[in-house]
Amino acid sequence: MNFFKRAWLNLTAKKGRSILLILVTSAIMLFVLAGLLIRNAADTATNNAKQSVGATVTLSANREAAFKKMRSSTSTSKTSRPKLTTSPVKLSDAAKIAKLNNVASCTATVSTSANATGFDAISTSGSSDSNGGGMKGMGGSTTSSGDIAISGVTSTSATSAFENSSSKITKGRGITTADEGTNNVVIESELAKEDSLKVGDSIKLKATTGTKKTYTLKVVGIYKASSSTSTQQGPGATDPANSVYTSYTFANTVKGAKYKNTADSVTFNVSDPAKVSSVKTAGKALINTSKYSLTTDDSSYQTVKASMANVKSFADKIVWLVAIAGTIILALIVILMIRERRYEIGVLLSLGEARWKIVAQFFTEMVMVLIVSIAIAGAGGKFVGNQLGQQLVSQQTTTATTTSSTSTQQGPGGSGAPGSSGTGSVSAQKQAELDINVSVMDLVELGGFGLAIMFLSIMLASGGILRLQPKKVLID
Amino acid sequence: MLKANDIGYWYDRQENSLFEHVNLEFKSGHSYAIVGQSGSGKTTFLSLLAGLDKPRAGQIELNGEPINQLGLTNYRKSHVAIVFQSYNLFTYMSPLNNLLTAMAVTSSSHKGDKKFAMDMLQTLGITDEQMTKNVQKLSGGQQQRVAIARTMVCDAKLVVADEPTGNLDEENTQYVIEQFQKIAHEQHKCVIIVTHEPDVAAACDYAYRLAKHEFTLEA
Repeated sequence: MNFFKRAWLNLTAKKGRSILLILVTSAIMLFVLAGLLIRNAADTATNNAKQSVGATVTLSANREAAFKKMRSSTSTSKTSRPKLTTSPVKLSDAAKIAKLNNVASCTATVSTSANATGFDAISTSGSSDSNGGGMKGMGGSTTSSGDIAISGVTSTSATSAFENSSSKITKGRGITTADEGTNNVVIESELAKEDSLKVGDSIKLKATTGTKKTYTLKVVGIYKASSSTSTQQGPGATDPANSVYTSYTFANTVKGAKYKNTADSVTFNVSDPAKVSSVKTAGKALINTSKYSLTTDDSSYQTVKASMANVKSFADKIVWLVAIAGTIILALIVILMIRERRYEIGVLLSLGEARWKIVAQFFTEMVMVLIVSIAIAGAGGKFVGNQLGQQLVSQQTTTATTTSSTSTQQGPGGSGAPGSSGTGSVSAQKQAELDINVSVMDLVELGGFGLAIMFLSIMLASGGILRLQPKKVLID
Repeated sequence: MLKANDIGYWYDRQENSLFEHVNLEFKSGHSYAIVGQSGSGKTTFLSLLAGLDKPRAGQIELNGEPINQLGLTNYRKSHVAIVFQSYNLFTYMSPLNNLLTAMAVTSSSHKGDKKFAMDMLQTLGITDEQMTKNVQKLSGGQQQRVAIARTMVCDAKLVVADEPTGNLDEENTQYVIEQFQKIAHEQHKCVIIVTHEPDVAAACDYAYRLAKHEFTLEA
């Protein structure tokens, strides 16, 4: 194995050439590593998105079927005005779906409204007067007409508004499952300020339907809705500051006795977004699809996934382009090196050295250069990868945001109710950040690429060695 | 030891052959000079003996075995040591590493024996300081001594030299001639030297002249 020693002697004797080789190889390795890092980071981001962005399946009334039913009744009954009748979701049905595989948790939502009694609701120019204002929206409910929008939930932290931080608890606490059966309420900070309400105070709400009973609620928390949520309302909607959160049981009580153990909708959180379709299919088998519908929402995951797929695809292109260009560049360098060292090769051949050992000497020299280059690339790869990766991500996020904003714009009459705004893109942007770090595995992968590049370039150049005749070099 | 059996060589056409039907025998413990005009084919003949090329006709035998059967690479590795006019040393190595490398490549019986290589260099007038310097920092004469030392540390029984004194002054020429005679007579090797110089040819035991495509033994 004398070729190892020869390779080492050659590299150390010709320092200038060795440094140039190291610089060229380092540049190639740096870009290959940057590509690998971005690719791996995109993979990790996509996997993280699976874990944290999540996806949901929502069980709610089948409005399409209800409309069909309404139209058919219109054709048969000309005397009375047709009425859209939807069935509230039975919690017993929801419980069956909650037991399916991949369903991590579920949250029920009941929307209704009531009139403020003993305190003033926030009045805006877009909304009607405080008594019997035209409240609409609230997740599709059509039963409300009060000035306070009540969002009955299982837990505030499970609602999209709180999940994506467009609403935050500033004082006290949010609604939890422990609040089931209680009259606890979480109110908006502007409403609290306007009426000098604080945690521990009581407010009164008067139902707008049925017995029109007045309920006393205890303020257990105050939340702050972001300005973007506050401004997302159309004409006819009550001010978002008039939105309060209670447990879904209280909202059902306000709606009436027949709504006990029901919900407007139940949202199931699916642990693996890739399984959304299978959960939906399995769920449909458990419900009466003429009454209820199951809709899926994995837009956040899809946004991140698409964004990361683009980044990964670009990173793959970088890796392959640099690898191919690097192979060609190094092959040319080795070819030139072989031409320069043909006398040395001739002497080795005249001494009876096997040609493969001469090729092995060149390969060993390049591997020694590669080891130093990988160390240099390892030191600089994180920086280059970060710069390149964040540039790519910012481009991808801009595209994703544009797409999301188009799909989440609300039209006139849209709800100002909490949690109703489409803010999936916010979480998507959060997840679409690359965490670029150089690990040992990255360096091993880079080493593999480097070896392949070196092997190919030496093979491309070794034709010169294999064809070389010692007589022609040394005597002719 | 080495026998040229009816060998011939030509480049493009046989009619323009450099030589044909050459039958010569070279024995261990003797030195041979091959002289002749430039372009007569002396060096080509030497390259055939060294296993750097193959004859177009006939065959070369080493101890009765055709060198083609041994394999030219193996033949060069185990049986031949070559000295060139332009030294052809490894320019990125020291004289000592040149010798150690040659010993390793040819699997010499002294492979890895640093002291043996140093003694050989010392014998040929290379100082301890010069031994570890880059070989290119030595004079032409010193480099040729290193090249000769390289042939001496290897086990090859056949030493071929192509114009080994072509780049040397008179004093170094005389020194190199003496060394080749020692290799032949003291190490009992077969030394074949291609030369233009009458002094070198005169110092050898036999001298063949290549002229008009034929070899003739000179008196």
